[in-house]
Amino acid sequence: MKGIMIRTIGILMLVILVTPLMYAQDAQEDNRRRALALSNEDVVQSEVVSDQLKQLIELDLRSAPLEKALQRVAQKAGLKLMYNKQSLPGKYVTIQKKAVTLYDALWEILDDTGLRFALSQNQQLVLMKMKKPSKEVTMETVTGQVTDAQTGDPMPGVNISVLGTTTGTSSGSDGSYSLNVPSLSDTLMFSFIGYQTEQVPINGRTTIDLAMAPQAIQGSDIVVVGYGTQSTRDISGSVQNITSEGLEDLPVAQLGQKLQGKLSGVNINQNTGAPGEGIKVRVRGAASITAGSDPLYVVDGMPITGDISNFNPNEIESISVLKDASATSLYGSRAANGVVLIETKKAVAGQTQVNFNASYGVQQIPQRGRPNVMEADEYAQFQKEIDEFNGRPVDEAFQDPSQYGNGTDWYDAVTEAAPIQDYSLSLSTGTETFSTTAVAGYLNQDGVVIGTGYERYSLRVNTDFQPIDNLNIRFNVAPNVAMNTNSNTDDAPWNGGILSGAVLSTPLAPARNDDGSLPLIAQDPATFGNPNFLRTARERVNDEKETQLLSNAIIEYEILDGLSLKTSGNVDLGSRRFFNFNPSTTGQLFAPPPIIPNGFLLESTYTSWVNENTLTFQRDLGDHSIDALVGATAQKFELNTSEITATNYPDDKVREVSAAGQTTIASDVQEWSLLSYLARVNYSYKDRYLFSASIRRDGSSRFGSNNRWGNFPSVSAGWIISEEPFMPESDLISFLKLRASYGVVGNFSIGNYTHISTISSANYAFGSGLASGRAVDNLGDQGLGWETNKEYNLGLDVNFFDERLQLTYNYYRKNTSDLLYNVEVPLASGFGNIQTNIGELKFWGHEFSVKSFNIENTNLSWSTDFNISFDRNEVVELGTQNAALFSGIAESHITEVGEPIGQFYGLIHDGVYDDQEEFDNSPKHTTSQVGTVKFRDVNGDGIITQDDRTVIGNPHPDFTFGMTNTVRYKNFDFSLTLSGAYGNDIIRLEEQYLTNLDGVFNVLEGLKDRWKSPEDPGDGRYGSVAQGTTFLERDWWNSRFIYDGSNITARNITLGYTLPVSSNSMISRLRFYGSVQNAFIITSYPGPNPEVNTNADTEGGGGDTALGIDQTAYPIPRTVSFGVNLSF
Amino acid sequence: MKFRILLIGILIVFISGCEDFLNITPETAVTPQNFFQTQSDFEQAVNGAYAPLQSIYDAQTVFGSGGDWMLAEMRSDNTHFTFNVDNRGAVTSENVATFLVESNNGVVANKYNNNFQIIARANEILSQIDQADFDQSVKDRLKGEALFLRAFAYFDLVRNFGGVPLHLEPSGSLEETSLARSSASDVYDQVITDATSAADLLPSKANQQTGRATSGAAYTLLGDVFLTLERWSDAESALSNVTNYSLLPNYADVFDPANEGNDEMVFEVEFLAGTSQSLHSLFPYHFLPRLNDPSIITGVSPAQLNEGGWNTPTPDLIEAYEDTVQDERYAASIGRYSGSSPITGFTYDRTPYIKKYQHDHPSFGQTEQNWPVYRYAEVLLMMAEAINEQGGRLTEAQGYLNEVRDRTGLNDYTATGQADLRDAIMQERRVELAFENKRWHDLVRTGRAVQVMNDFGERVKANPQDYYYAPGNAPTAASFNVTEDQLLYPIPFREINLNPDLEQNPGY
Repeated sequence: MKGIMIRTIGILMLVILVTPLMYAQDAQEDNRRRALALSNEDVVQSEVVSDQLKQLIELDLRSAPLEKALQRVAQKAGLKLMYNKQSLPGKYVTIQKKAVTLYDALWEILDDTGLRFALSQNQQLVLMKMKKPSKEVTMETVTGQVTDAQTGDPMPGVNISVLGTTTGTSSGSDGSYSLNVPSLSDTLMFSFIGYQTEQVPINGRTTIDLAMAPQAIQGSDIVVVGYGTQSTRDISGSVQNITSEGLEDLPVAQLGQKLQGKLSGVNINQNTGAPGEGIKVRVRGAASITAGSDPLYVVDGMPITGDISNFNPNEIESISVLKDASATSLYGSRAANGVVLIETKKAVAGQTQVNFNASYGVQQIPQRGRPNVMEADEYAQFQKEIDEFNGRPVDEAFQDPSQYGNGTDWYDAVTEAAPIQDYSLSLSTGTETFSTTAVAGYLNQDGVVIGTGYERYSLRVNTDFQPIDNLNIRFNVAPNVAMNTNSNTDDAPWNGGILSGAVLSTPLAPARNDDGSLPLIAQDPATFGNPNFLRTARERVNDEKETQLLSNAIIEYEILDGLSLKTSGNVDLGSRRFFNFNPSTTGQLFAPPPIIPNGFLLESTYTSWVNENTLTFQRDLGDHSIDALVGATAQKFELNTSEITATNYPDDKVREVSAAGQTTIASDVQEWSLLSYLARVNYSYKDRYLFSASIRRDGSSRFGSNNRWGNFPSVSAGWIISEEPFMPESDLISFLKLRASYGVVGNFSIGNYTHISTISSANYAFGSGLASGRAVDNLGDQGLGWETNKEYNLGLDVNFFDERLQLTYNYYRKNTSDLLYNVEVPLASGFGNIQTNIGELKFWGHEFSVKSFNIENTNLSWSTDFNISFDRNEVVELGTQNAALFSGIAESHITEVGEPIGQFYGLIHDGVYDDQEEFDNSPKHTTSQVGTVKFRDVNGDGIITQDDRTVIGNPHPDFTFGMTNTVRYKNFDFSLTLSGAYGNDIIRLEEQYLTNLDGVFNVLEGLKDRWKSPEDPGDGRYGSVAQGTTFLERDWWNSRFIYDGSNITARNITLGYTLPVSSNSMISRLRFYGSVQNAFIITSYPGPNPEVNTNADTEGGGGDTALGIDQTAYPIPRTVSFGVNLSF
Repeated sequence: MKFRILLIGILIVFISGCEDFLNITPETAVTPQNFFQTQSDFEQAVNGAYAPLQSIYDAQTVFGSGGDWMLAEMRSDNTHFTFNVDNRGAVTSENVATFLVESNNGVVANKYNNNFQIIARANEILSQIDQADFDQSVKDRLKGEALFLRAFAYFDLVRNFGGVPLHLEPSGSLEETSLARSSASDVYDQVITDATSAADLLPSKANQQTGRATSGAAYTLLGDVFLTLERWSDAESALSNVTNYSLLPNYADVFDPANEGNDEMVFEVEFLAGTSQSLHSLFPYHFLPRLNDPSIITGVSPAQLNEGGWNTPTPDLIEAYEDTVQDERYAASIGRYSGSSPITGFTYDRTPYIKKYQHDHPSFGQTEQNWPVYRYAEVLLMMAEAINEQGGRLTEAQGYLNEVRDRTGLNDYTATGQADLRDAIMQERRVELAFENKRWHDLVRTGRAVQVMNDFGERVKANPQDYYYAPGNAPTAASFNVTEDQLLYPIPFREINLNPDLEQNPGY
């Protein structure tokens, strides 16, 4: 407790220290007012104001700082506020009125500030400095009015200047202006934040009215960062923000799918097309050897313990991805893989809005990428040739192959077109003291593989209370229920994989009988006894139901101006029930029905609570701006699981496990806790030198008592060069910022008890009784600690042509040391491995993102977002002896020092031994024969053995990229999102069966070109069918299984039309759209999905060391959908 | 103002728990801090040390792991496998029988790893038991069991792999997990030391729970070790301490689970059906012909396996029975099956299978069949051998041999010389101990393995259909190229990879 006391005293001292500073401010106030005094002559009240500005609000402001007052007004009016912080003078506002129009209130607040306001089309209240009228003696006067091109509203505060001079003015409250110009042949320049700058030649006119076209995005959004918000302008780390806008058109279930191609440095792969599953997010190529590498997800400030696959994306308002260590370090021990901050939709006072989104689509498996297996006649011919080659009598069934025709296309038989539908209704309303937003969603996605599907019900209610002025209380409650019936579609055939089993089934057997019933088995004289996979897909029961409740209670209390205390209690509750039943009519490869029915039931519940307490202090002192935070948090997680394996059911009638003849029960409890202290200071000087420093101290139950606490500091600095006086004000480079950061973060994604050596059951039998036994089953390490990441980031943000072209570049370098590494040890020790901190990885990369507003006109706008990331990794040190690590399936991958993590490992395929001469003159394996596969003798010892294995491919892409083009023409909108990767290899593991030369499966059509005789050696890809010689080609991984997965994927194409609605209509927006998801893929990869990774599930168990395995993955469907957005 | 600051202070103190908040121990496992203290703890630890025996003798699945019967019986000329053209995933198991084992063979690794697991568990017990405070007699018994198991495991390792790393203390850190190989003679010395101490500490069978190591078992182990080392008189004196055992009148009864712990059984690996802990055995199913519905033979339905066809008795072994009618052991050991098979191109026509482990059991796939490791009949045959090899005591040796033959229905053997008796004892061992994982080791220790197995291989290659290969199938040309190198199995690839100090056996 002593440590806590000291910390508490420290915090109290900080509070005491900062308090006098707040009052010191007042003394400077008078001087400042004088300095900022401006003429108010051009401020003319106008009657032409929008309804929005005429709304009545109640204000009770007493000596509120200007910024606070504006924020308050904006909040009451339901508007977002946009301004440059440094242009706000230190004014204090007092207005106490029961009902005042927004318009009047704003003028009153902005009185004497030199600021103007305008309402932009996207409901943003924009504040802008007005320029002083020129004092030059002039000849001519030009007058006119500036309006918003989209709304027709007058635009106050627009800067109007004569090109090439310092002469200028700004428009008044009704948008009108009057400017004395040297000559009527000059050109006027109109500029305003958020609008496209226009140059208008005067051409002798004395009246020039102008409608200004808005620009979509501005340079200074407020984004969510760890434990707070920050203006993008002030951020010196690497943070990428994305709003929900535009995401709603994508007909997919998961958030990750919606973000594909949109974020630089964030690699989002869809490993499988199974509904509701398979999204893998990796920030900056994050990878670990045995610890996890998923980013930390934080929803409304709460670090959640699972993933977000069941989260309804329609609840999201914005997402921030924190990439570098300075941005993530406030999440300390969990931040190594990046942090994804999700903010859900906030309630807004004084506004009632109802939005309804609906879409319906049809998913279909594209033709490209379907396995090209033999048709029935080809297959029968293949079988016939095998028998003949091996000198066996040809089975009667294969004697006349031509009789069969096409036969059954099993891939087709177990797949179908499937609908997807998504509905979301949101309602938001509020008053001065209470506001609420509710989002209800329903999504139903049937799978394209028969028997699979996903369904989700979700609700979120976010409520804000503001009982008194400086107290804000928020409650967010979000339950959701997700159900799926996905069976093990992607599994290996011997594990019951439906797709992999189906494609291997004989095309001679029918999937359906003539009367429509389904046969039990699909086999012919050459194959194993196999089930009818269509029947298995239909009748195998897999019911999974996950419920989750996310809730937050947040109290924010502003103790003094600029000093607020925030306390939150967050609870994440969830449960999962998975029930599997295999009736007698189902089966798997080698195990045809009827089987003895069996079942499995898993039930688990988890509870995670987080308490966070932070104290923030924010103050501007002249040129200095400071923003500080201290806090303490505690989190605890508990998971209870029980599972029942049920076997020997008497029949299929009752499926519940209680009907089983025999059951085995297992149960487990998993807990962890985390205690943390954190502090951060952001400081900026003259708004152009930015500094930030933070530290978090984490204590975790997951680590050994000797190494339990870790400190995670970070520093960063930014320099906005474009604000420097020496930088000429120019439109070419309108904004230029350099950033640099360094930080240390950790990774604690390992098991909960790995530091403790445990003693588990090891039972035996004596006589006719069970003898309870126990044995030490792992080697614990009390020194086990964090995996430490040290990361540097260098960044550059530069905007050209008055923000029309925005470029962000980041270079990062990250060293992960003390790898949480499950070191394999010789089993002679009695143990297989020990979890310890050994090894080092190195990551580095470049990220570019560009946003370009190509065309900005009233009727036509076109913008392009492009990003590209180059991520690299290298193993620096491994284990004790740097022994290479083998992983994947049957050592398909190797991780060794000096090389990237998890490269493909195997032999080099050098064709086949075409003839006796080639055979005699080549190195060979003991079982090689003329016509069998020829591997390269890599170690040059003259024989082919496992020692000739070498690196045969790399699953990591050279680069990944994404591009989104958005075009608006009048009421039409169009967007196209492309994404892709270059240089990643895939091991097509399914070819182990699909090219099996034993003749027990259906195989790829290409096997027709195999070696048949020295005269007919085929294309050198496949060897002979000589019995007993085929296992080398099949079982030894070799370069023939490796394919290039480079691809360009058209993620989404959307075309929308917004119906014009009159301003007095009840409907405020009505838009229809059509959308195609996964429209096409350009790739040379023969499988359906170049992002495949059927081994992805083994998170924390070597998943990152075994990427790019294709074991007949669930295909990703093409979805064509239609939708509507309706707002009231 | 002060109130507000106080409020902040209180809140922060409130959430800041103590270090206790971070102390979380697993709820489903015991931690070493509260184990290895009481008598019950050590009893459980000793039980746990027996547990890997089940995996060594019956590894449930034959694909890639298998059991000792593959390495010690199917590798010999006693049994082979039914070549299944349809499922070549079993090739690593077949490689054991066809002498194509490579260092990544899972069946070999299964033996290596499980023996070392026994050793690690025994080491843990032996390093802690002296500090614990409980009844000395119980302590001695438990110590004896741990020492027996360690000796047993090291003996199994040394004769299959040669010298291995000699772990005698528990590994406590990363560094201690990697040891270099000790010489074979050092390992043998340790085995003898441990088995001798175990024999002193352990109670006799009468005073020990069924299935646990006894002094008789320890002496038999010691006898086996000395026999392997050709220390004949040491073997004789060790074996002479194996007393109070007797042969059952009926050979078949010895293996019936109903007679568990019978007077003939010296040491067996025990299995138990009907628990939720997977303590049953499955090997009798592997020894059946491959059938979609094995209940045709077992009578236990519903049944579905499709995994049989292993350890199939060879024509050579059947030939080795002097008289298949008179010798009761033949009918007790070998069954025949005719009918269709699920294997392409293969039909069962009086195809033999191992019958001696087939007994009724309540539910499919869960037999209670124990594995007989040492039984008194073998002790008698070892005694005969030990005496015969010392020379000059032909009749005495012959007496032990005939004690075994007496119950089989065969006539007494009357030897004409030491060499003939040697052959007779080996012949008797082959038949009496058929399918008990003795044949391969007998061939190796008597120096006949290379010759016998090459000859056998030639016969298989010449007439593959006689050895259960479907028409058109045969062992590959490279198979049965038996050399001295193959008298030892390879140290598993993984161990070599992880421990650079570990040298591979020659030829791998």
